[in-house]
Amino acid sequence: MTRENLQKAFLTLVLIIVFGLPLILRSPTYLHILVLLYLYAYLTTSWNLVGGFAGVLPLGHAAFFGIGAYTSTVLYVQYGVSPWFGMVLGGVLASITGVMIGLPTFKMRGAYFALATIAFGEGMRVMVENIDHLGPFNINGPRGLQIPPLNVGLANLMFTNKEPYYYIILVMLIAVLAVTYFISRSRLGYYLNAGGEEPEAAMSLGVNVARCKLIAMAMSSFLTALAGSFYAQFSLFIHPKSVISLDLSFEIAFIALIGGRGSIVGPVLGALLLRPVSDFSRIYFGATLPGLHLIIFGMVLILVMIYLPRGLQQPLTKAYNGLLNRLDRRSR
Amino acid sequence: MKKPIKEIGVCSAVLWVLTMALGAGSVCLAQDKVVKVGNIIPLSGPSASVGQQGKNAREMAVEEINAAGGIKSLGGAKLVMLYTDSESKPEKGVAEAERFINTEKVHVLTGCWNSAVTYPTTAVAERYGIPFIVPVSVADKITEQGFKTVFRIAAKDSWWTRDQFAFLRDMEKEFNAKLEKIAFVYENGDWGKGFAEQWKELAKKGDYKVVLDEPYPSTATDLSPIVQKIKRANPDVLLLVSNAADAILLTNTLADYRVKLKAIIGSGGGHADPSFLQAAGKNAQYLFDIVEWETDVNKPGAKEANEKFKSRYGYNLAGESVDAYLAMYVLADAMERAASLDPVKIREALATTNLGSGRGMIVGYDAVEFDKTGQNKHASLVMVQINDIGKGMERITVWPKNARRAGYQPVFPMP
Repeated sequence: MTRENLQKAFLTLVLIIVFGLPLILRSPTYLHILVLLYLYAYLTTSWNLVGGFAGVLPLGHAAFFGIGAYTSTVLYVQYGVSPWFGMVLGGVLASITGVMIGLPTFKMRGAYFALATIAFGEGMRVMVENIDHLGPFNINGPRGLQIPPLNVGLANLMFTNKEPYYYIILVMLIAVLAVTYFISRSRLGYYLNAGGEEPEAAMSLGVNVARCKLIAMAMSSFLTALAGSFYAQFSLFIHPKSVISLDLSFEIAFIALIGGRGSIVGPVLGALLLRPVSDFSRIYFGATLPGLHLIIFGMVLILVMIYLPRGLQQPLTKAYNGLLNRLDRRSR
Repeated sequence: MKKPIKEIGVCSAVLWVLTMALGAGSVCLAQDKVVKVGNIIPLSGPSASVGQQGKNAREMAVEEINAAGGIKSLGGAKLVMLYTDSESKPEKGVAEAERFINTEKVHVLTGCWNSAVTYPTTAVAERYGIPFIVPVSVADKITEQGFKTVFRIAAKDSWWTRDQFAFLRDMEKEFNAKLEKIAFVYENGDWGKGFAEQWKELAKKGDYKVVLDEPYPSTATDLSPIVQKIKRANPDVLLLVSNAADAILLTNTLADYRVKLKAIIGSGGGHADPSFLQAAGKNAQYLFDIVEWETDVNKPGAKEANEKFKSRYGYNLAGESVDAYLAMYVLADAMERAASLDPVKIREALATTNLGSGRGMIVGYDAVEFDKTGQNKHASLVMVQINDIGKGMERITVWPKNARRAGYQPVFPMP
């Protein structure tokens, strides 16, 4: 087998495993954890379009997540509109918002951009917390919105068991990874990369850096909002502190930093490490010493930052390449 | 430098390994002759203090129940407690409820203190038909969702606000004082907003003039802007809903700015937290607070229970912890009558609860009995005043008048 074929075989194997997983792993508990894991991998991959490729550090993505969650929920609860439609509309709204935020802020560099996006995200949360009605829409301030668990079915994106959610988010994750893959190999991807690393040099070569960043932002916020709608339908309860929280924005950024910013596999790796650490440390230590699980989470974060500043993807990619080389040699 | 196909391969390899690990962990532990109780409470984050008190109270009750022979109708089955930290976050509560029900196979759930966590979490329990005892989460909506498996011990928030205004009226009459201007300052979460909405209606009905309506974030590190607003609005009465840290901060800042008020009325929570009296000290003098329970309640066993609790954990029982303590006895009573671990039978038994005596019944009212929505019908509230009558700052029951501590004359309006 050639190297190419080996890789394809490996990819196929993994796809079979992730798709077949719910057949073996029947416990809703672990499916729930996996759904959230994929959700975070998805979110971080969407974030990565701006935060990784475009070389800036946006820390307000929870706002787009919230736009998605609120749009589909308000439309569904008040008007009975299918969440699938709300999802797309939420995406469009988020994308418009994203561009409006991007226009003034992309001129800022480094920490200033990060701070501006934090301010935007927090401002959004405070607004939602203090507004009960937005025109005809009831967004219910800090008390949040509850989706009555009636009318289960695909049309309403609502199910009683976890398997459908698992497959939906899995497909979404694969789709967003594919999008990232194609963008990274497209002209836009190269422009973004160039603009992220050396904006002056890129501009002098005629690359419209600002425009590329805006496109990336629009896509990123659109995709993030889709996840927001999915989350609302999955948890059936949203409130500002859960869907527009700074914690969420930070967690996305953490996952990206741990996994490796700007690489395709980084966000997935980061989610694979951080989500289980967060879930299992809570399960095993949450009750023994209050707050210990958060300390453990922080420790893991710090250790990875110190020893693997470029993220988990670097050593793992190396190991994977080594493995492939060995297999390649043996088969020859 | 990028070789995306390879990277996807790497990610899948890790995914695979992790999945295997998860699968190995999901082997469930079969156990019989125990009643597994899953408790989802905030053990870290802004409500950690209250969560910890609830945990301690549960521990004490369960130890007593188990030491007294467990559930006799189930052959002396012991109550086994499982705790988890909700971090006050709904999504964590939901994930933990799923885990408790599916992996740990709990028979009953309790929690979650934060109303925002309790809504979606009770929905999970309802879906699986697992009974859910809510010791404290006061939002009205919790028992108004049409759920069959939810049972709440504490009074709901419309009762709290109703009694706060009834108390004001009674005090005005008793002391022949006239209160006109009223200010609402509350944490901007679900709990505070719920209270404020009802206050507004009650104020309108009671002909009070609302001069300030100010929500604030509970995590604020400086509340002086809020206090300045209060000072400017110059109300007679200040109604508060606060968590522990902000209750302390607000009280101390009010004292720093020497804001003159006729009455300050808290809504339990932070004001009832043991840390409040320690940290606010003299600044908290004459403050009124509404609670479900006070250490001077006239009920057999209450004093002993409080002394035991205090010697173990270093602080008094409070409304929240008493509800948690009582919840365990309500559960034990229901299990005794259900004589089964079947959730349907446990639910039935809980629904027909009429617990009027026993070690857990140290509350001011006569019995625990649930109405059709799962709300404890008899839950009632008392008002206390914080004052120093020779033994340092303490909480003294003042209202309703028949529950007032013998020989105590409330200080009203505040000097």
